[in-house]
Amino acid sequence: MSSRVQQKEAARKRREAIEAEERRAKHRRGARLRLAVIAAAAIVLTAAAVTASRLSQEDAVAQPQAVSERFAGIPQDGIRLGSPSAPVTLVEFADLQCPFCGEYARDVLPTIIERYVRPGKLKLELNLLTFVGEDSVKGGRLAAATTKQDRFWGFTDAFFTAQGQENTGYVTDEFLKQTAAAAGADHEAASGDDATADRVLEQAQSAADRLGVSSTPTFFIRRGHDETPLEIDDLSVETFTAALDEALR
Amino acid sequence: MSAPVSQAARGPWRPRVTLRGATAILSLVGVAVAGYLTWVHYAGLEPFCVGGGGGCERVQSSEYAELFGVPVAVLGLAGYLALLGSLALPEELSRMAAGLVALTGAAFSLYLTYVELVEIDAICQWCVVSAVLMVALAGVSVARLSRPSA
Repeated sequence: MSSRVQQKEAARKRREAIEAEERRAKHRRGARLRLAVIAAAAIVLTAAAVTASRLSQEDAVAQPQAVSERFAGIPQDGIRLGSPSAPVTLVEFADLQCPFCGEYARDVLPTIIERYVRPGKLKLELNLLTFVGEDSVKGGRLAAATTKQDRFWGFTDAFFTAQGQENTGYVTDEFLKQTAAAAGADHEAASGDDATADRVLEQAQSAADRLGVSSTPTFFIRRGHDETPLEIDDLSVETFTAALDEALR
Repeated sequence: MSAPVSQAARGPWRPRVTLRGATAILSLVGVAVAGYLTWVHYAGLEPFCVGGGGGCERVQSSEYAELFGVPVAVLGLAGYLALLGSLALPEELSRMAAGLVALTGAAFSLYLTYVELVEIDAICQWCVVSAVLMVALAGVSVARLSRPSA
């Protein structure tokens, strides 16, 4: 009798152990399934975030493309922009890394182009100096070399649009390639053209020395051989247009 | 006077810091790191970079530092705050929410680290710290998810 009770007890314990093991296995399967679902959702979200990052980056790089269209239909010759027969030249000295030069290029230049350059009243000359730092030299050399392709103005405009913090090493080969692409310039040809880069930068430095330029941006009005400083109090469209209206009178 | 208790009598060894506690600590450190990067971004400052070299500034000013105008640092801050917030949820929901955020955050951080190394060619130490924190949080979250439900 006692033996039968013991057998029943042992069987009950075995059954309970099996049931407990089944419950644990069910929980483990549930945990694995939950982990798989969360991991799959995370993969989908990551893929979406990476795609958004790539699109956002392409968007940022593509921005200068539209800007370079600003020069469509306007004659370009080396560092000059505008009709060769325009009676007056606005001569600028700038460094690609100089924040105020960037501000002028982004905020004031578009109005000057549309109001004075496109109608043939004024032509522009941009002399690049490279005194701010190594990034100025890297950018300046490639920009100077694009004068041979008559893509200089598109290049400098795209550069100023994407201008970064001074001397942070942001002017990488990739940055220059993207800037050249935005300007429609041949990066490979320009980067190998040391002779043009040297000549254009030396000419700009000589002109700066001759005119006593000590900071950027500095502007002169040239009429014939007469070069007079353009006194500008602030980099606003109103100040520039008032000064240019006076100079063109 | 109580008798010494053997390890077997105490039951299996449990870590002193629970997985929820680890999530809280790592998330708080993450909030501090991402909060600092968010602050320097909006204050227009250069992030402090040990050893100089401008790597942090270069990464922070690159076109990858924003996602359609939203700074990546802000996304990181939101992620860490979401992880902290998930701890207030019921356990089951908390595990799933934390797992989703941490796994996504870790994978995206690894992608950004790849971008730094290969495309920007500069390393931001703060971003590396954040990536390590997110990977650690992902590990903790996987451990939480792997445990059977109560």
